[in-house]
Amino acid sequence: MTEDPGRDRSGSRPGAVAPAVAAVSAVLISPYAWWAVGRPPFSAVATAAVVLPGLAAAGVAGVARARAGGRHDRPAPAPAGMARWAVLAALAAAWQLAAYLQHPRHDHPTLSSLTNAALDSHAARAAAFVAWLAVTVTLVWR
Amino acid sequence: MTRFVTLAGYVVILAAAVVLDVRARRQQRGARFGDALAVVLRPWRVRLAVVAAWLWLGWHLFVRVHWR
Repeated sequence: MTEDPGRDRSGSRPGAVAPAVAAVSAVLISPYAWWAVGRPPFSAVATAAVVLPGLAAAGVAGVARARAGGRHDRPAPAPAGMARWAVLAALAAAWQLAAYLQHPRHDHPTLSSLTNAALDSHAARAAAFVAWLAVTVTLVWR
Repeated sequence: MTRFVTLAGYVVILAAAVVLDVRARRQQRGARFGDALAVVLRPWRVRLAVVAAWLWLGWHLFVRVHWR
């Protein structure tokens, strides 16, 4: 019998663990997300329901990152590749700013106004909240 | 600028980002989005600022909005 080089001694694929953990976490967090995005807008309880899990997610990811040895050093991309992303980011910022400075908002939607429209339903807001937490973890962990 | 033009601009920028990322993955050159993000987040002060901004965005989107 030959060993599958993609599997470790426990028989699991290292690369497959993270998506599975992320999927299970998302399912477990969903009921909380549903509750959290239903709190009264602008209230202290809504602020706590959103900000505290965000801070906790960042903290857990930070501890996990430190335990894993800190930085995940990878070869830096070529400067030309980075420059393309920088140009695109500058374009996106300029386009957003141009829309923000013009009125009416319906004719000049900003990313914020588009997002608000997309998150109009409770289910969409709950799903977006789970995604927001996932991105929080990614930003700290990456 | 009309609503259509504004939305078209966002779509073009998003499409350009997808093309950049897919090209980097297929041709093994250039920078994938994740690689570019990792470079930007390398200094801990920048990472802290980006995470703080992201937390603020969540508060802005999920708390400071009157839903219909």
